[in-house]
Order: sequence, then structure tokens, then C-alpha cells
Amino acid sequence: MVETEYEGIVKMLRFFVQTKNFSYVDRIGNALNPEPVEVTLLEALRAFRSIRESASIGGDGRRYVEKDGNKIPVPGIPSDEEVKKFLDDVRSDMGVAKLVATLALSYPSKKENSGGDEWCF
Amino acid sequence: MFLSVGVRFEANVEALNMVETAGNYGKHRRVPYLVEEDGKLKTVYVPAISGESLAHAYQEHLVREALSAGLPVCDDCQRGEFYKSMNKVHLGKKVNPIPDDPKAIEEAIVKACVVEDVGGFLYAEKPPVRRSSAFQVSYALPVKSVALFATSEPQLHARHAQMDASSKKGNASEQMIYYVETGTALYGFTFNLDLDAVGVSAITSKPVLDGDEIKKRREVSLKALFRMLSSSQFGAKLSRFFPVGGITELVVAVTDHPFVVTSPIYDDYIEKTKRRLEVLKSFGEESFLVVAGEEKVPEEALKEAIDYLNEKGAF
Ligand SMILES: [Zn+2]
Repeated sequence: MVETEYEGIVKMLRFFVQTKNFSYVDRIGNALNPEPVEVTLLEALRAFRSIRESASIGGDGRRYVEKDGNKIPVPGIPSDEEVKKFLDDVRSDMGVAKLVATLALSYPSKKENSGGDEWCF
Repeated sequence: MFLSVGVRFEANVEALNMVETAGNYGKHRRVPYLVEEDGKLKTVYVPAISGESLAHAYQEHLVREALSAGLPVCDDCQRGEFYKSMNKVHLGKKVNPIPDDPKAIEEAIVKACVVEDVGGFLYAEKPPVRRSSAFQVSYALPVKSVALFATSEPQLHARHAQMDASSKKGNASEQMIYYVETGTALYGFTFNLDLDAVGVSAITSKPVLDGDEIKKRREVSLKALFRMLSSSQFGAKLSRFFPVGGITELVVAVTDHPFVVTSPIYDDYIEKTKRRLEVLKSFGEESFLVVAGEEKVPEEALKEAIDYLNEKGAF
């Protein structure tokens, strides 16, 4: 997988894409100034926590949700350092938001049934 | 004749337009909004109610008013499922066999259903037929000057189940905790109704119904608006989050040709609307304006507008 400094955020957004919820990735990718990115990330993290808490735990100890018969692994919650760095970087360069949203829409290069690892700190 | 209504309503602790549930968290619709602070523009995120939501409510009222006036409403619309003859399956219930001519298709749909006559439809087959809605509705957004006081707040709720150790399964909990984001704001929205479009073909601009039927349909489309505003039956979650508040102000303008009242999100919208109508008057165009606020209740203002339309022979 392409390395970025915002792997946790990319994985979280990719999880939403896999569950057919494009709203967060679209709002972050289309934002014209930092405010929508901040609000969207707050909302995405809030929703993601709720989903993660109510997710089922499989035999391998990983969390997953079922959508249209597919088991979609739920990645870890992005770390606070990563979130802070991302928001700081977005404030100085909006291109960062676009990059993260674009990566979230792409296939990860390492096949991992997507969604990513349980923990990604 | 063209009717335009600007409505301001106060809604405390409402959940009129929820957008998504993530786990145990139900979110209120929110939109970015430009406000001015210390001479600078900035974006804030405020609770909002979509035009789709308001339009759905209006059409539900239209169904009821049309049926009680003995006018036709198709089965889908009667159920509040506004597919609007979107494909052969839905159109086939109205006209069989389906004609090839777009004009004939439009005529068949308009004749069969008041909701699709007033609310428009899109038949997405070959040939595609599109009819614009005769009514238009905006999002409901917080009034600008107090937008910074609008809030959306999650409220915690719980459902309890009595469980003893033997009936407890797995890690099921006796309490289900969930959050509902509620909004509190002074909202404004605009509703327009082009009475000249009712019963008239969007393709040929000629009436497809007889004059009497058109007048009846105009009347029910006004009554539906009256009922919707008067009953506050619009938006979601009314059973437990019926908004506390009500209409604080309302303006209705009736003109011969399209004219839209100044948006009620601005504090001077009544004054501005009056001045704009004055200019129209100087061009020799007749108009009617009524304001509900401290002296008049919204129902009185709407009734006056309806009476004016009646006098002018709109129905
Ligand atoms: Zn219908």
C-alpha cells in the first residue's frame, strides 16, 4: 500500500467507501477550504466509533460489519497525532485533503480484502 | 397566477431531517452556511431541513386534499410513494398500452394523477418525458442574523428490557443506549406555486384538462399548502420530536407572472419584498401581498391570499 502519513484516516474513509457511504470522502475531497474538512473528519470519526463499537467480532478477533452479504473488516481508529497532523497540514495545503480522499477511493495495492488491519497506529 | 410564500418558524428540539444512522448515532442534516462576523465572512455548519423533505410533506397533503375533493390520484402516490411514473412498470398502471408519443404520455399521466400534475415527474424510458414541478421549495435554513445561535445537539435516550440471567443471550444488554441529534433554530424557507402550470402540458403549453378540473386542482394545491403550514405536519420523527415552537412570520405574494418573495433568512425580507412589488406595480402589474406576524396569524394571511385568488378567478 502506498505509504502516507495519514494511513489511519485513509483506511477509515476507505471503510466508508466499502459500505457505500461516499459522503465523507466526497466532502473531504471536494472541500474548498479547511473548515469542511475539519467538520467532516469530526463527523466521520464520531460515526466510525459508533459503527466500530457495535461491529461483530470474528473468529480471528477482528471486527467486521456485514453489508449486502459481504463481511467488511473495520479498521482501527486513527490516532490523535495523525488526526492533528492531517488537520494542520490541510490548513496549509488543501491538496492534502484531496490526496487522502483520492487514496481512499483507490484499491490498496497490497491485497488485504481491504479495510486494513485491526490496528494501525 | 403565481404564488410565493416566505415562512419563518421557530423549532426547538426538532429532528425533522435526519440523514444517517451510524451504530447508535442518528445525525441531523447539516449544511455549510455563510455568515458575517466582524465584517468577515465565515462558514459555519447549521442544522437544515431539505427541500426534498418539505416537498414530500406537501405532496402527502396534496394526496389527501385531492382525494377529499374527488380528484384522481394514482395508487403509488396514494401510498405516499412518489415514484411518479418513472418507468414502464409504474406508467403501465395508468395507461395500457403505453403510447409512443411524449405528448400522449404526459396527457395520460396528468389526467390520472393530481400529484404528478402539480409535482412533476420524470418518465425515464424511450421516449423520455419530463414535467417540471409546478411548485418549488427551498431548504429550510436558520435565519442569518441568528444562525450562530442555531444548534444541533445529541440527546441521549435509552430503551430498557427486563432480563434475568436465564434469558440473557450473549452480551446483550438490558439497556439500549442511543443518541438522536436534535436541532434548535429559527428557520426560514420559501415555497412557490405556479398556478398557471396546473393541468397545462409542459410540452405544448396547452391545457390538457377542462377549465373546471384545472380550477379544482388549483384549489386543492393551495389547500394542501394551507394544511401543511397550519398543521406543522412536515419533516420526520414527529412522534417523539414534534418541534416546540411554530410559525413566527409569513408573507404571501400573488402576482400575474412569476415573482418570488425575498428569502425569509434575511431580517428585512418583508420590507424588501414590498419595495420589489412596488416596482412591479409601476410597470402596471397587479400584485397582492399579505404579512402574518404580530397582528395576523398565518392562517388568516393564507386565507386572504386564497380569497384574492378566488376573486381573480383562479379557481
Ligand atoms: Zn401519481
